[in-house]
Amino acid sequence: MESSRGSLVAESLEALPLARSLAGPSGEVLGVAPGPIPEAEAARVPADRIRVIDPAAPPGASTAGAAFSLVEAAQDSNASLVLVVGSARGRELAGRVAARWDAGLATGVTEIRPGTQGWTVVRPVFGGRATQELALEGRKAVVALRPHAFSPGSAPSTPPVIEHRAAPTLPPLATGGGVSAEAPVEAGSGPSLAAASIVVSGGRGLRSAENFHLVEELARSLGAAVGASRAVTDAGWRPASYQVGQTGQSVSPQLYVAVGISGAIQHLTGMMSSRVIVAINSDAQAPIFRVSDYGIAGDLFAILPALTEEIRRVRGGPSAPASR
Amino acid sequence: MEIVVLIKPVPEAETRLRPDRGGAELDPAGVKFVLAGYDESAVEQALLLKESAPGTTIRAVSLGPLARSEEVLRAALALGVDHATSVEEPPGVAHDPVQVARMLAFVVSRYSYSLLLGGKQSGDEGSGCVPSAVAEFLGVPDFGSVTDLKWDPIAGRFTFRQSLERTVLSVEAPPPVMIGLQQAWNDPRTAKLPMILRSRKAPIDRVPRAEVEALLARHPRPAVRAVSFRLPPPRMGARMIEYSSPQDAARKLVRLLTEEAKVL
Ligand SMILES: Cc1cc2nc3c(=O)[nH]c(=O)nc-3n(C[C@H](O)[C@H](O)[C@H](O)COP(=O)(O)OP(=O)(O)OC[C@H]3O[C@@H](n4cnc5c(N)ncnc54)[C@H](O)[C@@H]3O)c2cc1C
Ligand SMILES: Nc1ncnc2c1ncn2[C@@H]1O[C@H](COP(=O)(O)O)[C@@H](O)[C@H]1O
Repeated sequence: MESSRGSLVAESLEALPLARSLAGPSGEVLGVAPGPIPEAEAARVPADRIRVIDPAAPPGASTAGAAFSLVEAAQDSNASLVLVVGSARGRELAGRVAARWDAGLATGVTEIRPGTQGWTVVRPVFGGRATQELALEGRKAVVALRPHAFSPGSAPSTPPVIEHRAAPTLPPLATGGGVSAEAPVEAGSGPSLAAASIVVSGGRGLRSAENFHLVEELARSLGAAVGASRAVTDAGWRPASYQVGQTGQSVSPQLYVAVGISGAIQHLTGMMSSRVIVAINSDAQAPIFRVSDYGIAGDLFAILPALTEEIRRVRGGPSAPASR
Repeated sequence: MEIVVLIKPVPEAETRLRPDRGGAELDPAGVKFVLAGYDESAVEQALLLKESAPGTTIRAVSLGPLARSEEVLRAALALGVDHATSVEEPPGVAHDPVQVARMLAFVVSRYSYSLLLGGKQSGDEGSGCVPSAVAEFLGVPDFGSVTDLKWDPIAGRFTFRQSLERTVLSVEAPPPVMIGLQQAWNDPRTAKLPMILRSRKAPIDRVPRAEVEALLARHPRPAVRAVSFRLPPPRMGARMIEYSSPQDAARKLVRLLTEEAKVL
């Protein structure tokens, strides 16, 4: 499980119901929390037991310590499968755990089922342009899930039993014990790209940095994260951290809205595994429409304000100022 | 400073993907394997550090079928990397990140390094777990999703930012450390002709297959086996919304997203 500021992140609540259903009625599910979590949250987790690692590692620490605790938990419970949250840190952690536990490993997984020996998993590759099915043929497997590929489940009828374990003390060389001066910085307003379930991205069609607020307002109305094509980050309209694509972030939200983006292959490589794709582009022949589910051929400067207004109306949020 | 940068040969972005005869793998026929994505950024980052810290040497290490890994190593040499090591990949391990990491760690441990650099994730399968697995084998700390990597010669530390889903951390770490780079250098340098010519003749240290096979034989483990490689059903192309006004378009789209796609 992963937590942020002492609270379990949404992706953790996606992994546990899956673990529950894979374990079957006689199997056991052990949740491992990387630090203390509120009791009310623990009660909602569909696990038999939760092992809380205490104290939590400092935010800037390497995943070495977490990997140690997770392998220890897997060995103590004679586990056959370790499911890891598919966040950036989760993937790193999965690599360490599998190396340490000497297990099969797959990340970014969207489907998992028991195989003839071990597990069979499916995952998007090439940024969603293809899918790969792998057989993890050992007795031990580590699987990192793709965020938002599995639904969060309901709370169990009996809350899990909580147990505590001391965090390991590892040699500084293994942990980067010299890590200091961690200054957590908020990743701006709104959800960040990789974790968001809705992403709205803008491209060169916006014509200037000054117009980019149109994309941000639409994103705000949807509670979405904001992304951009490389044309936008290259031009310096927004920082490079906004870039989606081959050399930027890979995202796989439930809904991806591409505004004024032509659909170059390098952009598609970062967002093709989104569940539903919407494109707004004045050129009805733009390649982005070929990979989208819904398209509006039209001028974004007219469509975006109307769309933002409509979403605010439907969602009952505050309506836009009459003029800008 | 001694830097080792890990680079994976990956298909060019424009490659038309298609399954091979058996349907289990990407058909490599006609595919060009290149230095790309975050690995290209990692090489650029290594070169920038070298420019900022005189006396720095960079070694690139690549595991793959020999022709592919040596192709990307030559590309790295042409960009200014000093040394290159190719590791010939035994058949059947390409999809097993732990075995890949085991081989890379085995080779890297021959060199002295204060920084190990890799991509946050590879440009093809994007597992994002090989660098941390290499770090676990070597017993060094690792940090992924890293941007703004700098060397502070006075403190003797690397400083960087780690860009996670919910927070961006500023971190300082002493060497040695493994970094998975996420920086998008949108203008990495391009190789100059004399360097390209020189790189064609530059020596590449080869780790023969027998050596890594002997290593893997000491750690036999069940395989990660490719079962299928599929292209998603071709998207039918967007359902284009017909509308009479921007407001009409907005209403229709929101209705479709709510009632049909059920994403709002
Ligand atoms: C090695 C390499 C790596 C790359 N990595 C990435 C990457 O990670 N991410 C990425 O995005 N790109 C990447 N690129 C760049 C990519 O090839 C494209 O150049 C880029 O994606 C184009 O951005 P764009 O779609 O915003 O701009 P354009 O291709 O210029 O498209 C702008 C679109 O806006 C539309 N438009 C114009 N006016 C309006 C209007 N008023 N209303 C509605 N629509 C309008 C146009 O019809 C057009 O389709 C990479 C390229 C290379 C070579
Ligand atoms: N075969 C390989 N040879 C060299 N480096 C690799 C190889 N595979 C992975 N890496 C490194 O690990 C990073 C992440 O890869 P992955 O975990 O496969 O997504 C890449 O960007 C490379 O730096």
